[in-house]
Amino acid sequence: MDLECCWSREVIEQADCPNIQAGEEDLLVAKQQRNLEKCVDCSRFHHSLQHLYTDSNPLAPILSGFLEEFRRQKSQIRSLISFLDNKTLEIRFLHELGYVLQSSVDLDEVLSVALTAITAGKGFGMNRAFLLLCDREEGLLKGYLALGPRDLEEAGHVWNEIARNDMDLQDMAQNFRLNKLSSERAKFHVILEKLTISLDDKEHILIKTLEGKRPVKVEQAFHHPNVPPELAALLGVDTFLLMPLISRNRWVGMIIADNFITHRAITDEDMHSLETFGFPVAFAIERASLYDKLQVELSRVTEAGKKLKEQQELIVRMENMALVGRITSSIAHSVRNPLMIIGGFARSILKNSPESDPKRTFIESIVVETRQLEGVLDEILNYSDSLYPTRDFWDVNQLVGTVLRDTGDTLGSLGYVTSFDRGHDLRPAYIDFKQLSYCLRSVLLNDITASGDERTIDITVANGDDSVILVIEDRSRRITQAQLDHYLIPFSETRDLGTGLALVLCKTMLEKQEVPFSAIADEQAGICYTIKLPTRKEEQS
Amino acid sequence: MSRLLVVDDEANIRLLYAEELKDEGYEVVTAATSAEAIEKLQGAAFDLAVLDIKLKNESGIELLQKLVKERHDMPVILCSAFSCYKDDFSAWLADGYVVKSSDLSDLKQEIARVLAKKTAKIVK
Repeated sequence: MDLECCWSREVIEQADCPNIQAGEEDLLVAKQQRNLEKCVDCSRFHHSLQHLYTDSNPLAPILSGFLEEFRRQKSQIRSLISFLDNKTLEIRFLHELGYVLQSSVDLDEVLSVALTAITAGKGFGMNRAFLLLCDREEGLLKGYLALGPRDLEEAGHVWNEIARNDMDLQDMAQNFRLNKLSSERAKFHVILEKLTISLDDKEHILIKTLEGKRPVKVEQAFHHPNVPPELAALLGVDTFLLMPLISRNRWVGMIIADNFITHRAITDEDMHSLETFGFPVAFAIERASLYDKLQVELSRVTEAGKKLKEQQELIVRMENMALVGRITSSIAHSVRNPLMIIGGFARSILKNSPESDPKRTFIESIVVETRQLEGVLDEILNYSDSLYPTRDFWDVNQLVGTVLRDTGDTLGSLGYVTSFDRGHDLRPAYIDFKQLSYCLRSVLLNDITASGDERTIDITVANGDDSVILVIEDRSRRITQAQLDHYLIPFSETRDLGTGLALVLCKTMLEKQEVPFSAIADEQAGICYTIKLPTRKEEQS
Repeated sequence: MSRLLVVDDEANIRLLYAEELKDEGYEVVTAATSAEAIEKLQGAAFDLAVLDIKLKNESGIELLQKLVKERHDMPVILCSAFSCYKDDFSAWLADGYVVKSSDLSDLKQEIARVLAKKTAKIVK
């Protein structure tokens, strides 16, 4: 048999075979491989096979049969490979999508990814997608977000941009979220507003689809008996897909997708793919919503924890206060009443005894000493009061006015003249009114002996930075700074209880309230007290 | 002569008040408990009452509330060892408040003030 082809040769040259292309040079030396891949489809090989028929070779029909079956199987393998390639792409896409969806707890990010996946060419390639979410509190299915072009021109622009940038799904979703989310929301605002359906409207096609838990392809929407005409008119398309979003049997929402621009038919394959995609989307949306709620609850719990801590501290303080209160109450009752009786009767006897009575001096001593002890008692009780200030917002003008009224008679009897320059538009100060009244009284009526001729006390109140500044200028009590400092040292060796602990108490009370207090003494000008009262609660620790 | 009711659980304090206030020209009736005070008030006219806040096993504030309700024409002065009650709103019902002291000048002044105020009210 005269063979005109190369199929029987072990090694051939490139020029021998018209079917071997550049890059397939390995087939030149691999006879069996070459036969299977190239020769079975080569006309020269068929021509040689024809020779077998011509020569009435009985192998000819058998070989033809084998060849036919080989070609059929080869074609089948090719379509299977193509199918597998498509499935691989789909799985890769779903994997990428799943990864992006599962790694986010931000609702807008999840929704951006979901809508981008539906509309991207690399994804499901639908033209438009509308997302509706279930609002369980209001009992509504409400339009929330949409994505897609309005017309062919916009579509061309968007698709060209996507082709130019060659972004993957995550990049596209990120781009959408950062640059287009608001504009797309605004663009579809009217449609989204009208896409509001009561979850109790069991006859509505969207609610029925939710109940059915399966995607529904709606065709001939304008004439469909179950599609409300206003829905068809709103979407403006004859065919669309309804995809319920269900997570653990709970309605999360719905995606409406259509091919508004291309009018490409929605296939069963599209529906099947979208159904697979629906579950992770629903799950991710619900998780993101729950995360949002969790954040709200967490901040509430944190706030409640903070308040609880404050309350606990308050309770501890109140317990301390109650204890101090009980002790002071006990002291007050056990000591003050006997002192009062002793001193009171001594005064009574003194009042009725003649000036010549030799025992009168003894009784006078009892009166003086009891008065002294009562002074000590007053100061101890005031000191225990000062340990636990009770602050609130107060008008400092009112504070000064009240104290001046209370002390007016005493100061007047001592020859003092007071002036008060009231603050205008004064902010309320955060202080313990009772303690501040005591402090002010102590400053006005302290035991420092007046030495100057001028017996004036000027009080000024004005707004400061986050404070109200109270200045008391006492021009009568003229001492050195060292002497004044000595008056402000509690229980110093030269100080006796009951003989002017008031200024020390005043200082302690203000320190307790973290109120800045300064007292500057000048032998020529007198003493200037400056008290800076806070106007903000936060300044207190 | 104005008639005063003094309520205090300490016998010596009642005695001191009675002596000092009599010297000031008042007629003084004393009581050791709320019950005794109410008993003495029944069927008798008083111009003013001086109450101790802390009576044995009872509160002078409660007695004050009762007096304000039933004898609203009779002013009451609270007299206490505690200055803190001055800030207690329940004590605001009283017409005067004096912290106990061996020097009864404050109490005497307060009695005179409250009685003068009462008289002025009646004259009006």
